[in-house]
Amino acid sequence: MSADNAYAVELKGVSFKRGTRSIFNNVDIRIPRGKVTGIMGPSGSGKTTLLRLMGAQLRPSAGEVWVNGQNLPKLSRSDLFDARKQMGVLFQSGALFTDLDVFENVAFPLRVHTKLPEDMIRDIVLLKLQAVGLRGAVDLMPDELSGGMKRRVALARAIALDPQILMYDEPFVGQDPIAMGVLVRLIRLLNDALGITSIVVSHDLAETASIADYLYVVGDGQVLGQGTPQELMESDNPRIRQFMTGDPDGPVPFHYPAPDYRDDLLGKR
Amino acid sequence: MRRKSLMDRVRLMGRSTIDMVAVLGRSGIFLVHAFLGRGGIGGGFQLLLRQLHSVGVMSLAIIVVSGVFIGMVLALQGFSILAKYGSEQAVGQMVALTLLRELGPVVTALLFAGRAGSALTAEIGNMKSTEQLSSLEMIGVDPLKYIVAPRLWAGFISLPVLALIFSVVGIWGGSWVAVDWLGVYEGSFWANMQNSVSFSDDVLNGVIKSVVFAFVVTWIAVFQGYDCEPTSEGISRATTKTVVYASLAVLGLDFIMTALMFGDF
Repeated sequence: MSADNAYAVELKGVSFKRGTRSIFNNVDIRIPRGKVTGIMGPSGSGKTTLLRLMGAQLRPSAGEVWVNGQNLPKLSRSDLFDARKQMGVLFQSGALFTDLDVFENVAFPLRVHTKLPEDMIRDIVLLKLQAVGLRGAVDLMPDELSGGMKRRVALARAIALDPQILMYDEPFVGQDPIAMGVLVRLIRLLNDALGITSIVVSHDLAETASIADYLYVVGDGQVLGQGTPQELMESDNPRIRQFMTGDPDGPVPFHYPAPDYRDDLLGKR
Repeated sequence: MRRKSLMDRVRLMGRSTIDMVAVLGRSGIFLVHAFLGRGGIGGGFQLLLRQLHSVGVMSLAIIVVSGVFIGMVLALQGFSILAKYGSEQAVGQMVALTLLRELGPVVTALLFAGRAGSALTAEIGNMKSTEQLSSLEMIGVDPLKYIVAPRLWAGFISLPVLALIFSVVGIWGGSWVAVDWLGVYEGSFWANMQNSVSFSDDVLNGVIKSVVFAFVVTWIAVFQGYDCEPTSEGISRATTKTVVYASLAVLGLDFIMTALMFGDF
């Protein structure tokens, strides 16, 4: 068992490699229970990989991933699937089941994990869809929805079983300003009303900082900084300052490593 | 481009062998997890029925049409050869034995790999690329039980039945050409067939072949979809691999099984 029950998720000395490329190197992250924690970082910094490590969809090459007192990489396949029933994930693409309509997508977790009567399943589905503003889209198929709507339906599905931990992968991408505002409030509301732990992976600084109780900034395979949004805004660390202010010039390069620009254009012939 | 040295070639060969063994290992573990392990989720029978429809019933048209034409061609070819020896009355037994022993199971398996196998690979590969499989995992549902197992069972059940249907309509096509068109005496056509076709040697061996083909073709198809790179190029490559590997496996296994069943060693 993990020693500290104050944390819903704990990554201890986690390293992860894809082939020979190191994505994370000895990372420690602790997600406080019942809070909204933001994980931020530039594109390609491995934020989604981090979420997949927390859901044990990827196995770390070293270290431990504790979720609700269980070290997930050590669990058997069937125990792992049981452990995941306590988690909900909102994938970046929504990942709706394309052969099911909106109603059946949201009802899916209820049908496979509960024996609730049909009228109760219907009520729960409508409640969850109402929360994301899409009760009217209950009969539509996924290919009739916009990208933003798909993610809202996926959110309704993720909260269908009232999970203890809810993970959001880039929830604000592709949302119009109204939906964005509603979504930001909804994440906070769900967290506070249901007493769940929320992990928001995003590079949308303003939205994430506005709802997060605690923030991690990741990059270069490690945690660059952590603290409350206010603490990070006032950080002296130039890497964190650059990310928080969105400055293109600084220690975090905008360009992917490349040979000298001049040599590339004019050539060393 | 730099020419590869001998050592580079040896290294590449070693790497390919290791990759091949790794794929074989992964596909074995995949099969064990799909069939064994913790019991399936509720609604398994409905899932199987849906897949039987999509994999089996939807393949019926191509199997029936092909069966009729192949039976007709067999009768035509058989008649022209047997007539040279004055044995055209034996065309019925030739058509029946060829279909039941060889062409029924083999051609059905090849058509099944092209029609249903490629569709299975593309469907599962697309689910992987759109994160539907990941989504199932995070909902706490094992995709190997929910997605893969019903498709595997549907393939195992469908293909032997389709092979039998293929043989039956093939024999009917053959009788139409031989009896109604070429004028072979109907009594000889059916009586010769009845006398020479043995249930245990011919029909049963054909069914055993189609069961083995069903196992191999469906396994290859679902594994390629599950193991593919989740990009459009990866799905396209996996679909091609399904058809190529399944066809080669069917033809190779057919030779081995024919040698064991009818080789008189």
